[in-house]
Amino acid sequence: MAEYVHPEVLVSTQWVADHINDANIKIVESDEDILLYEVGHVENAIKIDWQTDLQDQLIRDYVDKEKFEQLLSDKGISNDTTVVFYGDKSNWWACYALWVFKLFGHENCLVMNGGRQKWIEEERPLTKDVPDFPKTDYKVSGTNEAIRAFRDDVVTHMDSGNPLIDVRSPKEYSGELLHMEAYPQEGALRGGHIPGADNVPWATAANEDGTFKSADELRSIYMEGKGLKEGDDIIAYCRIGERSSHTWFVLTYLLGFDDVKNYDGSWTEWGNLVRAPIEKDFLK
Amino acid sequence: MTKIEEIIEAFQDADYQETLAMLLDYSENLAPLPEKYIEARDAGFNRVPECETPVFVWIDLNDGLVQIHADVPEESPTVRGFVGILVDSFNGTTPEEVQSAPQNLVNSLGLDQKLGTRRMFGLSAVYNRIKSGVKEASGLQ
Repeated sequence: MAEYVHPEVLVSTQWVADHINDANIKIVESDEDILLYEVGHVENAIKIDWQTDLQDQLIRDYVDKEKFEQLLSDKGISNDTTVVFYGDKSNWWACYALWVFKLFGHENCLVMNGGRQKWIEEERPLTKDVPDFPKTDYKVSGTNEAIRAFRDDVVTHMDSGNPLIDVRSPKEYSGELLHMEAYPQEGALRGGHIPGADNVPWATAANEDGTFKSADELRSIYMEGKGLKEGDDIIAYCRIGERSSHTWFVLTYLLGFDDVKNYDGSWTEWGNLVRAPIEKDFLK
Repeated sequence: MTKIEEIIEAFQDADYQETLAMLLDYSENLAPLPEKYIEARDAGFNRVPECETPVFVWIDLNDGLVQIHADVPEESPTVRGFVGILVDSFNGTTPEEVQSAPQNLVNSLGLDQKLGTRRMFGLSAVYNRIKSGVKEASGLQ
């Protein structure tokens, strides 16, 4: 059985339980629901919210370098801290937060495999106590925009025939829906996908218990199934770049592709762009 | 001042942490769904289709006063808290009072500003369903 290419980025719930009081490790919870952390979280876990903490509230972008430094300093994270992310929905939001940390060049980022769901299913303890760590003086040494694609990068990528992975649901990909089924239909004026993109819904990479599928299964989904091969440059996208950060994590760390970008503009940008080419399989 | 107006005032005065604490309180105090609705819920009836979270709502009139019963999973405390606000404000009031509540309640509570706009679509959908459900049940025009 093949191993993940970078197995060291995943830690188990037991590992986290064993490192809860480790001073050089900070546990970060990131959820879709902004109140879940308050309901109860892993002891000593810090809350980082994908929207109110990591996104700029005026311009459609992430917070700037200074705000990121301020956030991490306030949370007690130093440049050499190992940050372990976990969250709801198969670590979808944990991967999103990790991707943003990587954008700002934070080195040591891990994911607790199985996330909040597995921790709770194993009946491990939750607390409402919010830890108060001493403030640090976090400094962003350099950003890493190589993992982020902007729309012009996507156009070039598409024109060169490089692989694009659309991680939305099949109905969003085909253009029948503009958002996941049962989610409000908002955000884009046109339905369909970027020409040439292949569809692999993000959750295909996750097991029922929230953990990642095995290396063999992932290879069979993305490589045998969709023809991705070693050395490929890949761009993943979804609706706003959150689901695709889960796929970005899988392709980068578990399958070991060197050049994977997340297009955070995603369908809510592309599906609104004047004259952007669209492929639509669903025709009424 | 109506109950919902009082709640709006409390939320408008609250900072981010206080907002979360109040929502959590409403979430934890949402009454469990009465036994008689469980079967219908499990069969998928009365679900608010626009909300990602499985939210189930029953609206009755009891001697002309509104009676809302709702079910929201505990893993979705934000939605649960919001529904808790609606149940708390509207139960025992007249259908007219429900109709006079602000059109954009989510904004009036300041939730869009404090919790981020991307989360608000489902909440508005639940609110609109409850308002229109009360209207329908009471025969208001």
